[in-house]
Formats: sequence, C-alpha cells, structure tokens
Amino acid sequence: MYLVAHIDTEICANTSCKLCTQFCPEANTILYNNNAGKDIGLKYGSAYVAVDRCKGCAQCVWVCDNMAKHNAIKMEMIDQIGDQALTENITYSEKNSTAILASPIRG
Amino acid sequence: MSLDYVKFTPGFGKFMPKEYRDMVDFGPFGKKTSVSQVGTFKEILEEHPMCAGCAMTLFIRLAMIAFPNPEDTITVGTAGCGRLAISQAAIPFVYGNYGDQNGVASGLARGLKLRFGDKPKDVVVMAGDGGMADIGFAQTLHSWFRKEKFTTIMLDNEVYGNTGGQESGMTNKGQVLKMAPLGKKFEKMDMLGMAKVAGCAYVATVVPNNPRRVESVIKKAVLIAREVGPTYIQAYTSCNIEYAIPTEKVLEDCNVVENDRYKFSEYISDEAKEALAHLYGYKEYLPKPAKAIE
Repeated sequence: MYLVAHIDTEICANTSCKLCTQFCPEANTILYNNNAGKDIGLKYGSAYVAVDRCKGCAQCVWVCDNMAKHNAIKMEMIDQIGDQALTENITYSEKNSTAILASPIRG
Repeated sequence: MSLDYVKFTPGFGKFMPKEYRDMVDFGPFGKKTSVSQVGTFKEILEEHPMCAGCAMTLFIRLAMIAFPNPEDTITVGTAGCGRLAISQAAIPFVYGNYGDQNGVASGLARGLKLRFGDKPKDVVVMAGDGGMADIGFAQTLHSWFRKEKFTTIMLDNEVYGNTGGQESGMTNKGQVLKMAPLGKKFEKMDMLGMAKVAGCAYVATVVPNNPRRVESVIKKAVLIAREVGPTYIQAYTSCNIEYAIPTEKVLEDCNVVENDRYKFSEYISDEAKEALAHLYGYKEYLPKPAKAIE
C-alpha cells in the first residue's frame, strides 16, 4: 500500500482558491469540479485527485497548509480512501471536469 | 503543424485511448487557456517518468500550459532529466544530440519561417544547465549572437542530476555534491549577463513558486521570439534528489532560494517592448504620454 493525496470536499468547497491545481507537478492529476460542493449546499466547487496519477510527493499538502491555510489535503493510504477518482472515470466539459467516484482499491 | 494534425481520421475516434480523445475534445489546442483554469481542461503534458515532487516537472507543466499557441509549437531538448517529461507531451519534440539543441532549433526556426512565412510557428528550447551552459555552451551563445528567433529556457537545477550529482557550470561556489566531494571551486556562471551581451531581446529569471508569473514570463518570451529575436529564461528548478530536499519541502526551498539568490528579474529591449505593446496589446509597454509643460 502507498500514500496518495486526498482532498476533503467539505473544506475545499468553502473556498475558491484552486492553488493545489496549479502547484501539482503531475499533469491532469489534481482536477477541479465546479459542482462538487453545490449538491451538499456549499458555495464553490472542489478540487479532487486522480489517484492513479498521484505520485505521493505531498507538495499539495504543503501548499494547502502553508500558502492557502485551509488544511484540506491529507496523505492517506490508497485503500483507506472511501471514494476515488480514476482517470478512466473522469469526463471533461466546458469549464469543468467531473469524475464518477469508484469504490476503494483493495488488496 | 495545424489544428488538424491533432484530430482523428473520421471513424477512428472510438478506437483511440481515452487520454487521446480527451486531448482532441478538451485540450488547449485552438483555445485560450490559462493557469487559473487548470484542472478543468486536458493538459498537453501526460504521465512521465520524472521523480515525485520534482520542481522541474512543475515548471515544465506550467510552461506547457503557458505556450500561447501550443498547436504551433515545437519543443527542442537534449539529454538530461527535463526531456523525460517534455517528450511526453502532445506537441512535437525534437531531441538535439547532447549540446546541439540550440543549433537544431536554429535550423528548425529558419525552416519553419521558409515553409510557413508569417504564420506564427514557435520553437522553444528547454534543456538543463549542463546541456546549455557546459556542453552546449558554444551553440547556445552562437545562436544568440546570430539573433535566431526562438526561445531558450534553462532548467537550472544547479547539478548534473541525471548522472549522479556532478558539479555543473551553474552550481554555486563551495557546493558539496556526491560527485564533487571537495566542493565547487569556481563561481556560478553568469548566463544572464552573457545573454544580455549576446543580444537577447528578453532575459528573465523565474522560480516556479509563482505559477502566474511563470505563465506571463513564458508568454512574453515566446511572443518576443516570434517577432524580434532570441529570448532567454533561466528557471530555478531544484533537484530534490541530489540536494536532499524532502518532496513536501520543495516549494519552501523555492521560496528560500528566491529570496536568497534567484530574485525575479526581467530585461526587455525597447524593440521588444514596442512589439508587445503594438502587436499583442500589452498596455504596460505603450510609450508613456509626455508630461504637460507647466
């Protein structure tokens, strides 16, 4: 098992900072869903991690804790994360990217 | 070299990988995309084998997002870490044999000019400090003296990271490395000074801890290289392996180094300012109105 970044939607959707999407060294890894928070009554969308592309460097954790000061990102074991976004389940649309969240990867 | 080269032959789209289909439908080709929209469109950079948390990867990713016309851009690189990522993008990449990258780019830029005339075709060289300041030094400087119209970007990690940590011309004096156990005995080369002497129209230093600044610097450099002459960007992209920086501290190190010895600097020639103001709408470079006589 290994660590990947996990973004707490409830904290992230209270802000509109998007800093982690800009500072991730991997392309197409931290993506942004404009509608993620709206279905639970929050104001903004939320960033999410395509876990199959994350290399676990934890730069986004530093950015979220020290630059944005939101503390929304934690490193978690990949089989402990409830719902995961995988590249094959991600769809892009104009000004949005959404993922069908899959159940945890076990084993 | 047009928008059509990224599209499918009719009927074959459904057989292509998902990443390719996303790139055609939601990539940045033919659109105006910026760093602030990242995460909502498919980037041209794909998965690559560079180390986790590498600042060079972050810079390359931001540079690829910042290219003004990605569909009309060719990147040129050489041996070193950077080409591992640069070659994994959905735009053409030419591998210059070690140190030849600026010579290859010179011929490429001239050929594109002959073939396509005034249509914008951008050539961007991205190579490491060893490939540019040591082994490719002569070709780099000569391409500047010849006023070749392309952008040169140095990915300055201040070490030969790919081969085990030897000192390069851009390593700081006194720096101890795995393959330089007594510390470097000479000063860091002043490539910025040499670029200005050689006649580059735009010279800038940048650290990837400010994505919007990286974007603006790259856009300016590519647009000036299109119209005026050679441009040079020197980017600090730390090697977290050879300098033993924990990956989560890479951006902290960027901040420390930026405040210490890599402050943002920008030199723009008058001709380049005029081109930016009149051709690309950069209002800050328009000539200032004369003051009223009192």
